[in-house]
Amino acid sequence: MKKILAFILVLCMVPFMAACGGGGGEQPASDGGGEGEEVTLKLWCIATESDANRPAYLQAIEDYEAAHPGVKIEMEAFENESYKTKIKAAMTGGSSEDLPDIFFTWGGAFLGDFVEAGKVACLDDIYANNYTEDQIPSVMLNNTTYGGKHYGVPTTFNIVAMFANMDLLAQAGWDKVPETYEDLIKCCDDLVAAGIIPFGCAGSETWCVTEYLEPIILKSIGYEDLGKIFAGEATWNDPDIAKAVDTMQEMIDKGYFDPSGVALGNDEVKANFLAGKTAFYQNGSWNTGEVAAADFKSAVAMFPLMNAERSTVNCAIGGPSDHLAVYADGANVELASEVAVALGKEICHYNYLNAVGLPAWTPDYDTSSLEPLMVDIGNIVNQCEGLVLFGDTAMSADPAQIYLDYVAKVYGKEIDGQGFIDGLTKDLQ
Amino acid sequence: MRTTTKTREVFLYIGLFLWLIVNLFPVYWMFTFSLKSNPEIFGDNVIGLPKEWLWSNYTTALHTGNMGLYFLNSAIVAVTTILITLAVALLATFALTRLIWRQRKTLNKFFMLGLTIPIHASIVPVYVTLSKLNMLNTYWALIIPYSAFSLSMAILVCTGFMNEIPRELDESACIDGCGVFGIFFHIIVPLMKPAVATVGIYTFLQCWNELMFANVFISKSALRTLPVGVQALSGQYTTEWGPIGAALVLATFPTLLVYIFLSKKIQESFIAGAVKG
Amino acid sequence: MNKLYNNKWYVIIFLLPALILFCGVLIAPIGASAYFSFFDWNGFTDKIFIGFSNYKELFTSDSIGFMKALGNSLLLAALSVFLQLPLALGLALVLGKKIKGERIFLSVYFMPVLISTVVIGQLWLKIYNPDYGVLNVALRAVGLDNLTRIWLGDKATALGAVFVPILWQYVGYHMLLLYAGVKSVPTELREAAMLDGATDGQVNRYIVLPYIKPIIKISVIFAVTGSLKSFDLIYVLTNGGPLHTTEVPSTLMISMLFLRNRYGMGSTIAVLLILLCFGFALLINLVFKEED
Repeated sequence: MKKILAFILVLCMVPFMAACGGGGGEQPASDGGGEGEEVTLKLWCIATESDANRPAYLQAIEDYEAAHPGVKIEMEAFENESYKTKIKAAMTGGSSEDLPDIFFTWGGAFLGDFVEAGKVACLDDIYANNYTEDQIPSVMLNNTTYGGKHYGVPTTFNIVAMFANMDLLAQAGWDKVPETYEDLIKCCDDLVAAGIIPFGCAGSETWCVTEYLEPIILKSIGYEDLGKIFAGEATWNDPDIAKAVDTMQEMIDKGYFDPSGVALGNDEVKANFLAGKTAFYQNGSWNTGEVAAADFKSAVAMFPLMNAERSTVNCAIGGPSDHLAVYADGANVELASEVAVALGKEICHYNYLNAVGLPAWTPDYDTSSLEPLMVDIGNIVNQCEGLVLFGDTAMSADPAQIYLDYVAKVYGKEIDGQGFIDGLTKDLQ
Repeated sequence: MRTTTKTREVFLYIGLFLWLIVNLFPVYWMFTFSLKSNPEIFGDNVIGLPKEWLWSNYTTALHTGNMGLYFLNSAIVAVTTILITLAVALLATFALTRLIWRQRKTLNKFFMLGLTIPIHASIVPVYVTLSKLNMLNTYWALIIPYSAFSLSMAILVCTGFMNEIPRELDESACIDGCGVFGIFFHIIVPLMKPAVATVGIYTFLQCWNELMFANVFISKSALRTLPVGVQALSGQYTTEWGPIGAALVLATFPTLLVYIFLSKKIQESFIAGAVKG
Repeated sequence: MNKLYNNKWYVIIFLLPALILFCGVLIAPIGASAYFSFFDWNGFTDKIFIGFSNYKELFTSDSIGFMKALGNSLLLAALSVFLQLPLALGLALVLGKKIKGERIFLSVYFMPVLISTVVIGQLWLKIYNPDYGVLNVALRAVGLDNLTRIWLGDKATALGAVFVPILWQYVGYHMLLLYAGVKSVPTELREAAMLDGATDGQVNRYIVLPYIKPIIKISVIFAVTGSLKSFDLIYVLTNGGPLHTTEVPSTLMISMLFLRNRYGMGSTIAVLLILLCFGFALLINLVFKEED
């Protein structure tokens, strides 16, 4: 009863307390810090049992704890969608007790909102004192740099890649992945004629649709222009974008996409590809390990060039989007910052070896046993002149959602290319 | 005349049976696919009993999915919520039906507001409060809000029951020298036993299902409740139906078992709420 | 005894826990939401006071689609009152007549109410699966291939597909409420009418229905406010998609709060939702009073 009473009394004061900006009360460090005492750091992430990143997290934590007795890292993993709800609720109303010391975050605007609210610790000192530019190229920190300061640790680096089932392509008479747009169309026609569905795309998760649409737009207008649009420095009003959207819709109309896909989630669509139901699967390079393990001959490529006047073939959608960050008001911010960076580096290391992501940190370990498919993707990236971060990560929450809404409308064929650029120009100013 | 009633009766029974199947089939299907492998579910044995009984799905759901633990958590939360709701509602109802004061009716109406308020509407303010009290990640984070949202219905039900207790009993107890607390604890509370079951059922229905609060207020996986656990497991095993089915069955079975044995009692208590409320 | 019961201190002692709990968890947050609804606020940084702009935007902006979400939940409420309740009432009337197997029917019909909503949602997700779901498989099995649909992904069928389990789950709930009413009709009333030569239909129409009107009223209120509040099943099945076809105010509110970081707008929806539920409850009370 006492608890309830206390609860109510505080609740009655909520409007006033929240009016104070919800700034988390400063709780003094209760334990930890003392010599010889064991310090426990809480880590929140999305590396659930089924997540390909999980082994890397567990291994990195185990290594760190072994090398630093006295530090314990307590990891809690949440399902992707509910994690977004959780971390935001915690940042909005939580006090330092309820927040983890280290948390997983997407780069760009997702972390930016927290940084702006003063909830994230700056990692500049750690980077300056403990690491060199050779170890972590500053371009890999760009997505978590705000006002010239670094706030995030990249745990992996990914691009959108087009995975192909070469066995199915062979059935349609193709022994290599088509390199031009005309060839791709021809190949798709051959596949359809052979009774094979070319692409699978999960309609119930709009980010999967962007994995198809963004590369087409990229190869139509080039990385510089697309980057500016995502950054809000240019408008969407570009006829070539409309054309790119129309191209994707033509592909849908021609039956290149599995119609069941609209109601399925990404895991189901991926499973269909891995089971040999579709010939291509265009998605993040974090799938490399799983594709390589499938029992068909696989290959990886990029979506072909659409408009040679504005774009080059050597560019990709992607970048370091997954990061660790440190909560600014935690009990052991300094230690947590040190751990976060060290952990991020190691997670990146194991992710690369497990073929679930490219290295954001320069490898300082043996990579000879690397998955060949991963090596192929690495070569593609090495040739890239420019990268554009995933649109929904680059934009802040509200515009990102509006953008995703329009992408969903494209896949649902509610609007055409013109409608897409008109709508986005109007709603995103 | 007789034949028409007969045919009418036949049609009636056909209708009743059809609706019976509509209610039973999904549960039956859930049970069967929880014991099958993907090829069987996706292949030609979609509806039949499993050819090979795959109990390993249940091991997966219990071990990886932690369904046993989540069930226990849900049960702890539900039982405590029911007890608190009941205690608070009994006290309030006594004041609302027995004690004499002005504004009694108005206050009763005020409590009835709670019947229409959607629980999700208060999620963030309640989160902030729980956080200030360091109650997040405890059972209390769910028990307190659930109790509050069950209170209106509980008061409604208790009012019905308490009004039926003859006031003469109070009178005679008073003459015997009982005080207000004496009357409440020795006369009223023992006679309110039937209300316990009814309030219990309505409160159970309210808090057993809740997903959003449970998801946001609890971070420790050791304290997760059943709806959150089922949702998380389904997110992890999207493409393997067997373990999901097993988790669904595990989440449902204990409740159904209790229901099968106590269905008459449960229905009667539920009904009592309707008639008295 | 009246002297004993007149003591104000007892009133306070007995009411205090309930009042504290109720005001603390229900009333104060509503106040807080009402306050936040006047701000442009992302939840972490500074709030900007903007008056009624959130309300204005909510009702005028096409891209938020609040009116459509509202329309969906009103449609659900209507279906609930005009489809679910009559079905429940029909079952209650039939089962209230002491027919054979009454207990079994009653028990089975009430069963879905006791199953967790998330379980029901996950189960129907599997039933509707376009490739392997039992619905499409059954349609194909009887040769109705052209009737198979991508139930939850097709804009034309998604809303209906989401409504079916919602309505299905609670038929038993209303049935049992109404059944209780039917059973409470005094047997003498029934028998007297039968002696006068009334048919079953007439007995139901003139004796039973008027008698159970208070319970019908409660059922209607629960059905309507329940529909307006509905969240869990939609969240599990479609989360408002595809293309916002199945959006209802609650799902919209959650996506405003946690996906789009528009805390002020989310609070605005919360306030409107509460007003709406409350308004409808009053309205239904009024309608039933008029009839008397």
